[in-house]
Amino acid sequence: MSSWLDYTINGLIVGNVYALVAVGLALIFGVSRLINFAQGSIYLVGAYIGWVAVVQLHTPLPLTIIVVAVAAAVVGLIIERFGLRPLQNSVRIAPLLATIGISFVLDQLVMLTFSPNPRALPSQLPDIRFQVGGGTIGPLDLLIAGVGLTSALLLFVFLRYTKLGWAVRATAQDRDAAMQMGVDVNRVNQAVFGIAAALGGVSGLLVGMYYNQIDTAMSLQATLKGVVAEVVGGAGNVPGAVIGSLLLGLVESYGVAMLGTSYRNLFAFLLLVVVLVLRPNGLFVSARQAPPEPLTGTFIAPSRPVHIPRWALLVAVAGFAILPLFPVSFYVLQTLINAWLLGMLALSLTLVAGTMGQVSLGHAALLAIGAYTSALLSLTLAVPVGLAVIGGGLMSAALGTLLISPSFRLRGHYVSIATLAIGEIVALVILNWESVTRGPIGISGIPPLSLFGYDLIGPTSIYWFSLAVMVVLALLQGRLLTSHLGRSFRAIRDDDIAARAYGLGLNRYKSLAFIFGGFAAGISGGIAAHLYSYINHETFNTQQSILALTVVILGGLGNVVGAILGSVALVGLPEVFRIAAEYRILIYGIVLLLLVRFRPQGLLGTV
Amino acid sequence: MTNASAEPLLALSNVNTFYGQAQVHFDLSISVARGHIVCLLGGNASGKSTTMKIILGLVKPRSGDVTFDGASLLGLSTPQIVRRGIASVPEARRLFADMSVRENILMGAFVRNDREAVAQDLDRMLTLFPKLGQRLSQRAGSLSGGEQQMVAMARALMSRPRMIVMDEPTMGLSPLYVDRVLELIRTINQEGVSVFMVEQNASLALEIAHEAYVLQTGKIVLSGPARTLKDDPRIRDAYLGGSEAA
Repeated sequence: MSSWLDYTINGLIVGNVYALVAVGLALIFGVSRLINFAQGSIYLVGAYIGWVAVVQLHTPLPLTIIVVAVAAAVVGLIIERFGLRPLQNSVRIAPLLATIGISFVLDQLVMLTFSPNPRALPSQLPDIRFQVGGGTIGPLDLLIAGVGLTSALLLFVFLRYTKLGWAVRATAQDRDAAMQMGVDVNRVNQAVFGIAAALGGVSGLLVGMYYNQIDTAMSLQATLKGVVAEVVGGAGNVPGAVIGSLLLGLVESYGVAMLGTSYRNLFAFLLLVVVLVLRPNGLFVSARQAPPEPLTGTFIAPSRPVHIPRWALLVAVAGFAILPLFPVSFYVLQTLINAWLLGMLALSLTLVAGTMGQVSLGHAALLAIGAYTSALLSLTLAVPVGLAVIGGGLMSAALGTLLISPSFRLRGHYVSIATLAIGEIVALVILNWESVTRGPIGISGIPPLSLFGYDLIGPTSIYWFSLAVMVVLALLQGRLLTSHLGRSFRAIRDDDIAARAYGLGLNRYKSLAFIFGGFAAGISGGIAAHLYSYINHETFNTQQSILALTVVILGGLGNVVGAILGSVALVGLPEVFRIAAEYRILIYGIVLLLLVRFRPQGLLGTV
Repeated sequence: MTNASAEPLLALSNVNTFYGQAQVHFDLSISVARGHIVCLLGGNASGKSTTMKIILGLVKPRSGDVTFDGASLLGLSTPQIVRRGIASVPEARRLFADMSVRENILMGAFVRNDREAVAQDLDRMLTLFPKLGQRLSQRAGSLSGGEQQMVAMARALMSRPRMIVMDEPTMGLSPLYVDRVLELIRTINQEGVSVFMVEQNASLALEIAHEAYVLQTGKIVLSGPARTLKDDPRIRDAYLGGSEAA
């Protein structure tokens, strides 16, 4: 059994690795007020470049580190130049979405090049352990600590004693004033992205060596951990990011020591939520620093929604309703059923993110809550499936709103981070709460959909059922948007301070939006559970959250018809063009990037 | 005088600016002669600060031209414009709050590469603004408003500009510092730096300016030598309304 000292050493070493990611995030946030969700992808790229260097080119360790740092920096520069610089004068949400799109593209490219199977990444260091007090430490631990300290020192010298470093600091404090001193902000951005990417890439390499394994799932994990560490330390605060990382590493390590490996991430995200709730600006942010700027108003591209006449909608619904009467294949119906289920999720997200302005990145958690509730109600309590699905919707509405409520006072990027964390927490609770959720084994033998005692087994009946549910939810939401509630939601999105001055209670309206949205998503999850008959903690993952976000942006944020159109397009078109499954996520990422660049208001316009 | 020096250092000609649909400037024309202090007066929302932003390239006009020393500034980025010799003292000073006073002042010399001369200029600033000497290693954000204004002016001078543009340099300062700032503007000007300043406080500005323009909802409604404007009843009515005390 390892000693506490071992856990401390392990925590500090892992914290060092997080710090390399978090410092880059902090630098980027400092100069461009952007949380770079592609940071983990660069880390992934770094790990795989390291693998190529070590395993195929047999480079010596120092050379490997240099190769990885340089290659990753180049990737960072490309991202900055072609992904983000064109969006400089765009709405605030654009670069955030672009980094999400970029991360999908990069991750998929790595996966397509190297296959998703894990690979071993040997460290090239002798496998010996030195006895230190009650614990042990190995050469790799020392290497990681050394790289961490050296990077911190170099960064300090850069920021403190070089002209470009001064420019970085000045830009972080006041971008316009820095420009008026003659600072070329594009060069500052380049420098920062290059440095952040080099550090991130090296971090990926070191982690790969530490666990002697790399796989493509590393990317999202790294982004999450980096963001947690950075936000804990105070967004944009470079020394804060280092301390936040070490703290995160220690919390995780002690958490693992107490409860086991599967609790590692749970501790990380709980730390984040606690910090966001108690000190939303982080532990080490100085009180003087401007609070997170109101990201409302210009956060979402304003536009005039495309007007669709009522008869056209009626014709479209009628057309889809009578579709099964024609000789269409099972495959077409199956595809459309998926579209309707995604449509319900998109309705939920478009309300929360579009109408209310709370860009949620953890929406799949609502699916999971609905699915598990409905599955467990029907399996263990023998509740009729129809009622169980409604129970799933209600549970999702209640629990989802309850979980997100501590973050109601957050804005902009912070909402996205909080929802992402809460989504991960839900998945981790499902994984670890074995007595109820059956943990990693998942729930199998979920009864099929049934209504008033009739089983809905044929694709036609399921098709009609899911279409009807989605249409009802869409009508309800349309009604909601034209009511005074809808206007209040939009008022809060556009300017929450003004809305408050007019007497709108933010918590109440945010709760209402999440209750309605949670219900729609929970229903979707519930139906899906009975359709799949087997679910586990990975059935509803972050990829689905991002897919839903892409759908909603494609349709136009807040746009009810747009959400459904987006679902049909993103589910249907890959089928029409017979695109292989492994390319789909790549395509979603590219779609997201193109949308953000060329039509940020979506196909039908934001509402 | 020769023709060359008769040409203004800075000229805005027929500038029309829009924020979305809303027009901010209507055929705005302003010129700053070499070696002069020119003041742009106007109330809130008259388009004064936008004029500053146009000169610095932070906002682009839809039509019209901005020339500095005979060459157009349109199409240049803010850093490029700064390199042409225009320094700025922005509204509310906009210091780099977490950097030290020394670092702030030296940031003003960002476009220069002559290290020894920069060091000499830093010393010169300390004789011009003696109070800053004891404050050099302090965080800029911890200074008082008046001291911050000194830092902002020193920072602007460090680029050895041919012209300084100032946005409401006396705003929010105590009467003592207002006088000090005006005196310093005069000193700077006597050393050969042209000054374009935007002010709300007409009586103070007209004390030191050579020429002045009055901007009202985006149009120049009055202009001329400061001495004449001071006695102009229209300006007295519009801007010195509260000057019964004077």
